[in-house]
Amino acid sequence: MDAVNRKRILLIEDDAHIAEGIALNLTLEEYEVKVAENGIQGLKVWKEWCPHLIVLDLMLPGIDGREVLKNIRLEDERLPILILSAKGDPSDKIGGFVDGVDDYMTKPFNLEEFLLRIKRLLTRDQWQQEQDASLTGHTTDQKPYTFGENQIDFSTGLAQCRNGTIQLTEQEIKLLKLFIVNKGKPLSRSKLLEIGWGYSKGTSTRTVDNYIVRLRRYFEKDAKNPTYFKSRRSLGYIFDHE
Amino acid sequence: MRRPFWFLHPVAIFIFSIIALGLSLFLYIYWYVEVSTGLKTVIEKTNLNPEQFVAWQTWVVIMVLSILVGIILLGIIVVFIYQRKTQALYRAQHRFINSFTHELKTPTTSLQLYLETMTKHELPREKQLKYLHYMLEDVARLTDDINGILNLARLEAKVAGVEFVIVDLVEEVVEFYRKNEQLFRGSEILVNKSEDQCYYCSINHALFQMVLMNLLSNAVRYNENDRPQINISFSQTEKMVQLCITDNGVGFEKSQAKKVFKKFFQIEEESLTHAGGTGLGLYMVDQVVRLHKGKIVAQSDGPGKGAQFVVSLPRKNPDLNGDTCS
Repeated sequence: MDAVNRKRILLIEDDAHIAEGIALNLTLEEYEVKVAENGIQGLKVWKEWCPHLIVLDLMLPGIDGREVLKNIRLEDERLPILILSAKGDPSDKIGGFVDGVDDYMTKPFNLEEFLLRIKRLLTRDQWQQEQDASLTGHTTDQKPYTFGENQIDFSTGLAQCRNGTIQLTEQEIKLLKLFIVNKGKPLSRSKLLEIGWGYSKGTSTRTVDNYIVRLRRYFEKDAKNPTYFKSRRSLGYIFDHE
Repeated sequence: MRRPFWFLHPVAIFIFSIIALGLSLFLYIYWYVEVSTGLKTVIEKTNLNPEQFVAWQTWVVIMVLSILVGIILLGIIVVFIYQRKTQALYRAQHRFINSFTHELKTPTTSLQLYLETMTKHELPREKQLKYLHYMLEDVARLTDDINGILNLARLEAKVAGVEFVIVDLVEEVVEFYRKNEQLFRGSEILVNKSEDQCYYCSINHALFQMVLMNLLSNAVRYNENDRPQINISFSQTEKMVQLCITDNGVGFEKSQAKKVFKKFFQIEEESLTHAGGTGLGLYMVDQVVRLHKGKIVAQSDGPGKGAQFVVSLPRKNPDLNGDTCS
């Protein structure tokens, strides 16, 4: 494989020894590797570097691995992600798969198995991309999402609402997706910040409130008495509709 | 997961039994008063001397009933409090097992990873040495964790016949630092000692070493500075000798000053999750200091402002023979 075709792998792992060991092995397998030692840095590298695959630890300083995963899945549903964690309970694994991980390995792990799983995930991703390329024209597999009199087309980022057609910003789209995925479930401000923005706890939650005000202005009949984006006292926000 | 019925919750049961008890007290008294008024009418009808029976007896009975109910109430409250505490401890233990297995898994994973890598690839000698060094560090981490658990078990069994010797605290600390200097490389440890002053107290050597090890490694571990600073100073009053360890580390909320010594307690600060630890260190320190009939107090001006641990031990007179300090 020449340098151009090398697959990029992002490793999000906080233990320096393990990170270096894995990076060493992946490099020896001719992959290009970057290591991020916490979730926030991981998200940053993911955005800037566009890796082909992510190896993710769950217990991370700053924002937790699960939040990193959810954040990535809001924007990219297909990127292969492998969780490599010391947590081995079925509930942890199920939680990971519910949030959209592709593979899950528990520490301590077998190196050979790990490398083969990575290889397989990358191969499948390659096939998928080739298939997509051959099926040009049908790229918009997402149907517009409708609630009340509003319609959102996530592939174009356009929303039809009572104010006419508006172009949504990237952050608004992310927040909307987050609400739609969790329809009917209350989301706390800090959770919204963590998943939607990738901020760690302790950052001002005003940002969230400002965005909610905007979404209400777009989609609510009466922004003062919202029917879709409701506030729940001391809990946060809840999105729901018929 | 199946949610148990809310009325089976201990708090609900507690409230129900108190209501039931209060109600029964009310009914006892109510019925007693009713019966005695009945009795009174009978007495009046039969022209017996009423004062003989009723007046004071009524109040004695009510008082005795109230006292009995009071005792039962106290019993319920005690049982309730114990139950809560046991439950809290159980939860803490569960958390501990989780964090402890994680603590063990991390070095194990690293060891396995490097061993497998070396089996698979022929690495240049310098790299091999580097990774061998990593592996040794991981083994040291494992040993530390295992020793921690063993020490805990030993302490909890309250080993009979812990031997105490009278030593100079300053000497003890200096000696400890000299022996473990390599562990604290990269941090600045300052021992404030005055030449002619000795601080004698009675300690068990091995256990006290553990206290120092825990306090000093905490000061380094929970520290975000490039060069952690630790200041050790001594003072004494008529009855006590005090050892004061001050660091410039992450500190803690004032409200947590007592909690840090609880078994399995760990400050739930996001940025600290990577610092590891099992929540046992300070609990053991506290236990050991108590075993020495002393006490330990933690102080901090708040997160990020460093912490101070003051160990007070009973002051002892040195052996009369062969001591240079007076």
